[in-house]
Amino acid sequence: MDAALSLSGVTKRYGDFTAVNDLSFTAERGRILGFLGPNGAGKTSTLRMVLGLMAPTAGKIQVLGEDDARKVRARIGFLPEERGLYKRMTPVEAIAFLGSLKGLSTGEARKRARRLLDEQGLGEAANRQIRALSKGMAQKVQLLSAIVHEPELVILDEPFSGLDPVNQQTLESLIRNLARRGATVVFSTHVMQHAERLCDHVVLMANGRKAFDGSVAEARAKAPRALVIEGAVRAEDVAALPGVTTVTAEPAEAGALRLTAALADGASGQEALKAAFLKGLDIVRFELKEPTLHDAFIVLTGGESSDIQASASGAAQ
Amino acid sequence: MIRLLRIARREYLAYVKTFGFWLSMAMVPISIALFGVGPTLIAKNTPPPLIAVIDLTGQGYGPAVEKAFDKPPAVQGEWKPTGIVAPSPVPAEGASAAIGQKLKPWLLGERTLPGGGKLGVAAVIHPAAGGQVSVDFWSSNLSQLSAKKTVNDAVDERFQRLKLKAAGLDDKAIASLDEGAPDMTDFSPKSEAEGKTSLRDRLPGIVGFALAMLLWMLIFTGAGLLLNSVIEEKSSRILEVLLSSASVPEIMFGKILGIAGIALTVLAVWIGLAGAGLAWKQPQLAADIASVIMSKGLVFYFAFYLVGGYMMYASIFTAVGAFCETTREAQTLLGPIMMLLAVPIVFMTQAITNPDAPILEILSWVPLFTPFLMTARAAVEPPLWEVAGTGALMMATVALVVWVAGRAFRAGALSTGKVDLKGLVQKLRRAD
Repeated sequence: MDAALSLSGVTKRYGDFTAVNDLSFTAERGRILGFLGPNGAGKTSTLRMVLGLMAPTAGKIQVLGEDDARKVRARIGFLPEERGLYKRMTPVEAIAFLGSLKGLSTGEARKRARRLLDEQGLGEAANRQIRALSKGMAQKVQLLSAIVHEPELVILDEPFSGLDPVNQQTLESLIRNLARRGATVVFSTHVMQHAERLCDHVVLMANGRKAFDGSVAEARAKAPRALVIEGAVRAEDVAALPGVTTVTAEPAEAGALRLTAALADGASGQEALKAAFLKGLDIVRFELKEPTLHDAFIVLTGGESSDIQASASGAAQ
Repeated sequence: MIRLLRIARREYLAYVKTFGFWLSMAMVPISIALFGVGPTLIAKNTPPPLIAVIDLTGQGYGPAVEKAFDKPPAVQGEWKPTGIVAPSPVPAEGASAAIGQKLKPWLLGERTLPGGGKLGVAAVIHPAAGGQVSVDFWSSNLSQLSAKKTVNDAVDERFQRLKLKAAGLDDKAIASLDEGAPDMTDFSPKSEAEGKTSLRDRLPGIVGFALAMLLWMLIFTGAGLLLNSVIEEKSSRILEVLLSSASVPEIMFGKILGIAGIALTVLAVWIGLAGAGLAWKQPQLAADIASVIMSKGLVFYFAFYLVGGYMMYASIFTAVGAFCETTREAQTLLGPIMMLLAVPIVFMTQAITNPDAPILEILSWVPLFTPFLMTARAAVEPPLWEVAGTGALMMATVALVVWVAGRAFRAGALSTGKVDLKGLVQKLRRAD
């Protein structure tokens, strides 16, 4: 498939510090790519290089067929991590202004701005000054200003941060609609849940290096499946079950234990359960748990993920 | 180019659509008018003080002083007495110090004069040692300087007349002394009217200085607005979005152009108001100023140096603003530039009286000062080589400053945290 974005051996150094190290990946047209990693992993530096806001120390970047994103600015939409708009402008003016910088005529930009605001339920606030809007509304306005010109490539840097769960859901559906329309969406996040729900393709970053590049299913497959068992059982008994590699224990309700047993690659959870019943273990609850992207990330980065979040609730806080 | 114009338009409208902009623009002419007209109006509407003249000399000083308060000055114009003579509430008897003490209740307003007025000033004229005359000037308001001068001049004149009379001169001879003042006329080889100079000949110097001051104000008002605008965009994270939508030159020059539009709007309004006011009150002076501006090439100087000076300072302020999230941070970085800014102000005033002074000629070659000093000196029509040389050096500096500022703007727009002067230079060297 045709690539909207391609990085090859990209490195960015600030003095002695290497922010991005030998990074290569490709974002295919019309797909959603999640660019994942904890804070400081090199995501923002990479996106700034992709946008041509700064030059890489080494490596090549191709954006929409050009070697410099600045040549195709009008075909790119960008939402930066730290957001802000002209506080004395109205949403219509702000969206129309940024749309006009992307090549739309002023009249067309204003028309589209009104339509987008209506679609997002912000029609009533269209002519209020931005400083009078809530944070969530202002963020929506900024997102609309990034897509008003219907870009082919949409780059969103931590788009979910600061949004409440309802607005996160709205944003997810907006991103899906962009991809449905044919746009390529690249978004960075440190909240794995969003990526799991949205992405066709994920690139995991840790310490400036790429830790994984592939589909969500492929990423998940890197982490072991687990058998969760609750009851009056001992960790040694669970560790002795067939296919179990490691066991972690934590207290559950009514003095029972919750044991999470990681299964070896290719091992059957059914076999392990059958063996447990045959042994007569006192089990009150069991669950075969498929690995999440968060689990995969832990495995792929060797546990270097102190601020990576599994769920969106963390991001909304 | 269209993006540049759209950024300029937004910048322009962001200011002119606010009430504060029109208010602050109106404040300048209003303040000038108040400062110019205010004191005159106050003086016009303040009644002159009532003055009691007590003469203990018996040599006619009292009537001379009283006459001086009733006599209009020799120069023409609207005359207002500096005091109105009132009968003294205290008789002219006893020592001058005792009389002064007796006058206190009237001077403090505890007692009123027979006609009902308040005594403002009392002059007690008494003999002094060695045939001299002394005046005890009593007033509850220590700033009654006009009345004091009238008393002093009248006593002085009377003293001289008495001395001259004592020396044997008759009244006619003494009166003829007043007519002997020399009639002095100014001539200049540069003057058009047979060498005779007039206000019109001095106008170019004054207009050149005024234009240089206007240039200074416009450039630094514009640069200041730019600085605030960039700081606002930097602190509210708009710069990064702009950088993804337009090139650095488009953003920088768009902003610079937009603010230049503001400066020109202010200039047009101020010139319009000043021109209309002058044409209404002083049509001849207005015509002379217009003629000087057009004939001496001052328009060219002003336009050329406005563009060069504005580009130079606007670029510096824009680049510095890109590193700052608060005006306090900007003040730290701009400290050295702000100190340099005071230099042209000091020397521009010299240009009115001595436009060819060597120090002015030397400083005119410093590109940061060239716009102001060359405009101020334009009246003496400096040699062409000097105009061309300083102009070329200034434009080369403008090009260099704009180039460096462009790099700094990009580095600053994406920078985070506080930046000091050393950090700014380091970031500039690393900018790519």
